Parts: sequence; structure tokens; C-alpha cells
Amino acid sequence: MDDLDVNLTRGTLDLLILKALSWGPRHGYAVSDWIGQATGSALQLGEGTLYPALHRLERQQLVVAEWGLSENNRHAKYYRLSAAGRRRLQTGVSSWHRFVEAAANALRATAPVPAA
Amino acid sequence: MTDDRTRRPFRLALGAKHLKRDVDQEIEFHIAMRTQALVDQGLDAETARARAIAQFGDSAAVREECVTIDTQRSRAVTAAERLSDIRQDIAYALRTLHQNPAFACIVILILALGIGANTATFSVIDALMLRPLPVSHPEGLVTIGDPQATHRLSKGTPESDIASYPGYADLRDGNHVLAGLYATGMTSRLDVVIDQTPASTQPGPTEAEHPHGRFVTGNFFAVLGVGAIAGRTFAATEDRVTGADPVVVISYAYWRNRFARDPAAVGRPVIINGARFVIVGVAAPDFTGDIVGQPTDVWIPITMQPVVMPNSPWLAKRDVSWLLLMGRLAPGVSLETARASLRVLETRSLLENAGAERRYLETALRDKPLQVGPGARGFSYYRAAFASAMFTLTAAVAMVLLVVCANVANLMLARATARGREISVRIALGAGRMRLVQQLLTESAVLAIMGSACGLLVAWWGSTAILRLAAAGPKPIPVDVRLDWPVVAFTIGLSIATTLLIGLVPALRATRSDVASALRTQGRDSGVETTHGGRLPLGKGLVIAQVALSMLLLVGTGMLVRSTERLEHADVGIARDQLIIAEVAAQRSGYTDARMNSLVRDLMARAAAIPGIAAVSVSENGIFSGTESATSVQVEGFTARVDSDTAVMYDDVGPGYFNAVGAHILRGRDFEARDNESAAKVMVINESMARFFFPHGDALGRHITADSAVWAVVGIVGDARTNDVRETPSRRMFVPIVQMRHPPGTFRVELRTGGDPARLVDAVRRALMASDPSLVVTDVSPLSSLIRESLAEDHLVAKVVSFFGAIALVLSALGLYGLMAYATARRTTEFGLRMALGAEPGAVIRMVLAEAMALAGSGIVIGLPVAVAASQLIRGRLFHIGVFDPPSIGIAVIILAITAAVAAYLPALRASSVAPLAAIRAS
Repeated sequence: MDDLDVNLTRGTLDLLILKALSWGPRHGYAVSDWIGQATGSALQLGEGTLYPALHRLERQQLVVAEWGLSENNRHAKYYRLSAAGRRRLQTGVSSWHRFVEAAANALRATAPVPAA
Repeated sequence: MTDDRTRRPFRLALGAKHLKRDVDQEIEFHIAMRTQALVDQGLDAETARARAIAQFGDSAAVREECVTIDTQRSRAVTAAERLSDIRQDIAYALRTLHQNPAFACIVILILALGIGANTATFSVIDALMLRPLPVSHPEGLVTIGDPQATHRLSKGTPESDIASYPGYADLRDGNHVLAGLYATGMTSRLDVVIDQTPASTQPGPTEAEHPHGRFVTGNFFAVLGVGAIAGRTFAATEDRVTGADPVVVISYAYWRNRFARDPAAVGRPVIINGARFVIVGVAAPDFTGDIVGQPTDVWIPITMQPVVMPNSPWLAKRDVSWLLLMGRLAPGVSLETARASLRVLETRSLLENAGAERRYLETALRDKPLQVGPGARGFSYYRAAFASAMFTLTAAVAMVLLVVCANVANLMLARATARGREISVRIALGAGRMRLVQQLLTESAVLAIMGSACGLLVAWWGSTAILRLAAAGPKPIPVDVRLDWPVVAFTIGLSIATTLLIGLVPALRATRSDVASALRTQGRDSGVETTHGGRLPLGKGLVIAQVALSMLLLVGTGMLVRSTERLEHADVGIARDQLIIAEVAAQRSGYTDARMNSLVRDLMARAAAIPGIAAVSVSENGIFSGTESATSVQVEGFTARVDSDTAVMYDDVGPGYFNAVGAHILRGRDFEARDNESAAKVMVINESMARFFFPHGDALGRHITADSAVWAVVGIVGDARTNDVRETPSRRMFVPIVQMRHPPGTFRVELRTGGDPARLVDAVRRALMASDPSLVVTDVSPLSSLIRESLAEDHLVAKVVSFFGAIALVLSALGLYGLMAYATARRTTEFGLRMALGAEPGAVIRMVLAEAMALAGSGIVIGLPVAVAASQLIRGRLFHIGVFDPPSIGIAVIILAITAAVAAYLPALRASSVAPLAAIRAS
């Protein structure tokens, strides 16, 4: 992958993680599962890629991590959105939509110079 | 909820190991969950796990990246927590201090005193000895000659300490090591009249004023790199032709004080000693000249010297040394190179023009070659004169600060102990010891910083006080003492040291508390002292230390005060308490050789007629006047082994001189009126001179050649110290003033009174002026006050050390009082019991007093040998006082004992008035 793809993916992945956590605390595995199902496994990420992203979000204080017990009684690290994380999700989603729309428009273009 | 910042209720270790373990655990959980999910889909366990690991990707890379991110995060969190801890601690310290404002005020006050005294002393040292001149690149400057010779004027054989104008020119033109070399010379007193133009803002009569002037070469400002704030400085060409440049540059201070910063001052004409000059500029604001402690108001081109001082034109004279030289090193030339090169040049210049004195000069230059030193700090007389005084002061104020710290540490300890239960509870709840120590130290730091801030105020006042005390007259030594950054840095350093001194031991001691026992005692008293016996011994130790330090200061004070007293009343060999000395500047009043002798006779006759005057005479050099003459002599039958053997001091005096000043004629006679211009030349020599030149025979009637004339010895007079109480009398001869080839331009009249000389000062001035109203009588003073002025430095040290001794004493008394009050309050029950069992109140008082005395006694016993040892350091300052001085020690012991008794009396009284029943019930 070249740099452009990485950046695109990373920003998108962050957004997806925040979205996954918007319904409440989850551990990393659950986040990974949700992303897989929600995207129909279209993103083809190594599941491990998720974790650095999660830890980075934690460092940026967008998510808060706590150790807790999982549904099958194992020690698991749970992540939840901080207030700042929730705000970032909102702004992130709307700018992502703008970005996709603009990019899609541009990609649909039929002439070298946009009509005046 | 502040969920953005992780705030952990308990501090858990955040080591690298932890972070790695957590990441491993998280990854392992994921793989386990995925394996389980795959098993649920029907895979066998082994295949499922392999698939899960493959799906995860490069787990080692993931792990590494996560650990890196977590490490960064944990560092940021720790830093944020530390910052918030400090903020919390400061807030907490301020809150607890606010709850006890009396405690805080006392501590801050005491610290301010201790830190302020140190800062004041340091700021004076900084101004006198450390700070560079406010010129550009001061590090490139070099002084040539003696940098302390700012008061010197030498006529006769040239010397290397100060330069003559032709000698300066030789160095300036001959050297290749300096980029520039300038000279400055002292002026006589300047009578300056500022022309009253109609536009003048200064109304009133034109009266002469007397600013401090200095002659400078044209390159003075250029070499220093000092500019003008108004007008211009001198051009390098303004010292080419004698008398051709009637211009002056004035200092910013003079411009501000005299001209109210009026820009029109530039261009104003001024009359200096009758000659017309024009102000061409004002020097940069900070610049007061290159002599620290002697600010200059008016700079005059050196070639105007004969115009300003018409009676003593010095420019062409090689035998008048009066100039201080300063050079700027040429690029790439080291100080050593410059020194070597300038020495060669100086030696050549002096020897080529030496004539008959060549041999003497060769020896002199070998003994004492030309000094070339770093010039960044300029010239200063005070720097050398007060170096030892400042050293003594520094030692004294450092001791005061130690007493202060011991005192405050004791207070802090008492406070920490009072909070013993609070601290124990917090330790029990898991607070870290270092965290608590940090909190207690923060309190010390807050106190030290506030104390330092107030200390700066104390210093601001105190440094002026030191300079005022140091000066002989009513005005302080004009040194520009500022609280600039070296001083502030010094104060900050002091406050850090103080924080540790006052806070560390109490904090460590308080947090050492054994949790269980402290909680058990229910906080009624701290567990600290019962479990460790800690508080009292440490507190006692601090009080003993204070007493010991006070002992040191008091003994030192006693010795310095007694030494100064001895200096003031020392027998100097003349009638020191009955003499008045009047200085007459005859030449400035227009008298020349022939008229001078009749003036001398007239003045003597008038002075003798003043009621209350017992005897009158005159002399060229005064007594304790700061002037001195030396010459070399040939004595029949005496062969000099070294050239300096022929050197003697001399004075030319009037008839009846020795009777007038109260010196003791040992053999022969005093000068009489018959020893006049036409009579045979005669001289009187002092005992030292007689013994040196005539060890075996009688000096009377022998002949001595001096000043190309032969003089017969007619009298031998006892040695006297006439310049400095401490001096060893040197070989000295006296000749009649009227037999000199040229009578001196300035002479002194000595008058011996029957009673208090101070009361006759005005009468003397009137009588002398009556001879000629235009006669310039510059100074009329009793000799005793001249002697006192010569002892200014001793007075300074004695006064300031006494002051600090008193402070230390008061602090020790407070410390002792605090300790005794605390100790007796704790033993209320015991005293109650004793009284219930029949003890008399007097017995209780005696018991408490005895304890206080034991403490004070320990301090005295420890302080005594230290004091005796420390006296060695001030031995050089002491006059006729041994380093072991029983009176000073005795007085110190008595003062300390009385102080201890007074400090302990109130607690003792309180202990003795305990109502037995109440005390027992209270327990």
C-alpha cells in the first residue's frame, strides 16, 4: 500500500472504531467483529491493524480504556467513547460524507475543466 | 465527569513491563475469542487457532506499535499528573498557611531578614567587585598600572602604578598590542558656573557648583565604546593641542539633576575655574565613568588641564604621575602577550628619561613590574579597600542565615509534628512517602519564595545601609547597587538552599511516622516523638546550634567592637584629641613663592590669637589627610645596601610644629622662628630614621643630603603614626617649610586647643579667612574626626556585625522560648502532679530554667572553640586584640545566659502556675 491508501484507511478506520463504540463499551474483538460485519468484510484488514488504532485513539483521549470481565468471564480491555471522542465522531462523519461526495463528483467528471 | 483525563484513584506503577503485559493480554484475548468463534463454526481447535493467528496479521509488529503508543501516553499522563500534583501542593500549602497567618508571617519575616541580609551583602559585592562596566565588550579592556590608584598623585620619581602624560604618550604610540589606549586624570576641585542665558530654566544667582570632573584623552569614549544620548562624545582629535578644545561631555545623572534633561543643555557655555567651555554632549545613561564608586559628572579633554589648573600644568611633566590607563586589546592579542609587550615599553620609557634616578627605577621596576590586568570591571579604590570587610560581612550574614534556617526548621518541625495524625492517616491510606515529602517541601518552598521576595525589599534597603555605614561622610559610597540578574539568581539559589534546609529534615522526620502507633494514640500527640523520641532531641539540637552560632557572632562582634574602640583611642604619638587641622589652598587663592611665606606667618599669628588655642604650626602634608611625600637621601657615613634604604618620608613644617601637634622631642630641639629662609638648613628626624641611619652614634649634628641641599640634624622626635592607626611608623624627616626651594601650594594649619576642638572649628575658619577673604580654606576638622574617617571600614564592619549579632541573638531567644514553651506545655500533667505532691512553684521554675540553661550551656560550650578558631579569620582586622579574647568571650557568655533565662522565664512561670487538679483531670 502506498501512503495515500494508508492515510485514507487509517482515517476511515478511526471513524469506524468510534462508530463501533457509539453504542457503548466494547472490547477490541467486538469492535473488529462489528467492523467486519458492518462493512461486509470489504475492507480486508488484518484484524491486528485495529489495535494500534485503538491505542492511538486512547492516547488522543478520544476513547477511554478499562479492564473488565467479558461475556465468557475473561479479562478484557474495554473501550468506550470519551466526550471528545463522541464529538470527533460527529464531525468526522459529516466531513467524511463531504469528502466522499466531492471525490465521487470529481471522479464522475467528463470534461478536463469543470463547466463554468 | 472529567473522563478525558485518566485520573487514577491510586497510584499504580506504570512500568514498561506492565504496558507490555497488558498489550499481550489484549492480543491473546482477541485470538482466543476468534479461535472460539471458529471452533463454534465447526473447525477443530488446532486449525481454528492457526486460522485466528493468521487473520490477526503480524502480531509482533502490532504488539510493538501498541507498546510504543502506550509508553508515550503514560509519559504524558505522568507529566500531567506531576504538574497537577504541584498545583495541588501549592494550593494546599497556601491554604494551610492561610489558616495560620501568624505562623506564616513570622516565618516569612524571619526568612526575609536572613535572605535579605545575604542578598544585600551580595549586591554590594556584585556592584563593587563583580559587575562589568556598562561599555561595549568590557572583556576586551585591560588596565595598565595599579587599578586601585584612583586617589593617587605622585610627584618626583616616576612610577609604574600611575602614569605621567609623556609616559602615556610613549605607551600609546609605541605599542602594537592594543587597539586603543586612553588615559584619565584627576581634576582639582572644579568651580563650575553655568551661564545664565535668558532662556535658562534655572533662575537664581550664579553660584559655583562643584561636580566631579575627570580629564580624559580624546579617544576615551571611543575606546570604551560609549556613545552619547544627546550631542556627541569627544573626537579623537580633541587632545592634539594644549588648550585648544574648550568642550565638555557631561554624565546622564548630571544632565538629569542639573539640567532636568533639557536637550538645550548641549551647546550651553559653562565656566570652569574661570575658563569658558561648551557642553557638547551627554554620555549614555548607565555610564558614570570607568572608576567604580567614584562617578564622574564632567569629562574634560586632557589637553585642557593647564587651563583648568593653571598653577599646576602637568601635561609636559614626566615627574608628575597622575593618570590611570586603560587599553583595548587588539584582535587576537592575549592579555599575557600585551602584558609582556607593555612592560618592555614601559621600562624603556621610564629608564630613557630617568637621569639620576635610573638605578633606583631599575630596582623598583624589577621589584614591581608594570601591572596589566583585565579591565572589564574598571578601576576602583573601594574594591581593594573593602574586600576584607566584605569577606567578614559575608561570613556574618551566612551565619545569620543558618540561625534563621535552624529557627524556621524548628517551627516547621513543630508544625509537621502537630499534623502527625493527618500524615499517619494519609500514609495508612496508601499515600506515597515521597509524595508527602514533596507536599511538605512545597510548603517550605512557598515560605522560602515569599521570604525571598520580601528579602529583596530588605536587600534594597540594606545594601544602601551598608554603603552608608561604609562611607566616612554622611553620603553613602556612590556605587550603583542594583537588583540585577546576578543578584536575583543569587537570591533564587538562596531560597532553594533555604527550602531544603528548613523543610527536608522536618518533612522526612514527619513522614517516618509509624502508622499503627500514631493511629493508636488517637492523634492527641504525634506518634513521632513517642516512638522515636524524635521531636525533642532534633528540636533541642537546632536550638543548641542557634546558640552556638550566636556565640560565634557575639564573640566576633565583641572583638571587632573592642578592636575599633582601641583603634579610635590608640596613642598615635601626637595630641590626637586636641588638634584641629585646617587645609589652605594658597596657590589657588593666588599666592606664589615669596608671598606664601608671609601668608604662613600671618596665618600662624592670627590662629595663635584665637582664644582657646594653645599652640599653632603649619605643615605641607597633614596628619591623617591622605597626602604623603617621599624622597631619597644621602647620609654621611651610611652606605645603602639596596636603593630603597635611602627612601624616607618627609614633611615640611612651621616653627614650633612638634610642640603644636604634641609630639615628643626626644633629643635636640623643635623648629624655631630663627630657622628662616636665610638661616642654615636644619632638619628634625624621627626615632626610626635616627636608629636606621645612625645605629651606633648620635644623630644630632650630623648632615643629611636631600633635594640637592645639605641639612643639619637638630632634633630627634618620637615616632608617630600620622596616616593610619595601624601603620608601622616609617623613617621620616622634617624640614622648615620656609627653607624649601618651593613652598607647597596647599598646606595645613595645625592648632592645639585646650578643650574640645570641635567647638573651635568655626572660630578657626573665621580667623583664617580674616587674613584674606578670598583665601580658599577647604577643610577644617578636629583630628579625632579625621582619624575616625580613616577607620570608616572598621566602623562599618563592627556596626554591621553587631547588628547581625543582635538578630541572631533575638532569633535564638525565640527558638529557645518556643522550645521551652512547647516542652512545658507537654508536661502540664507532670507539673500538676509535682505540685500536688507538694513541690513549691519556685522549685518548678528552677527546674524549667535549669533545663533552658543546660541547652544554652551546651550551645556555648560547642560555640566557644568554634568562635576561637573562627577568630583566626578576622585576625587581620583586629588591632591590639588577640584571637583569644577573654572579655569578648565573657560578655558573649553573659549575654547568652541572660537571654536564655529571659526566654525560659515565661514558660517556667506558666509551668509553676498549673493548678494541680486541673492538670491531672485534663489527662
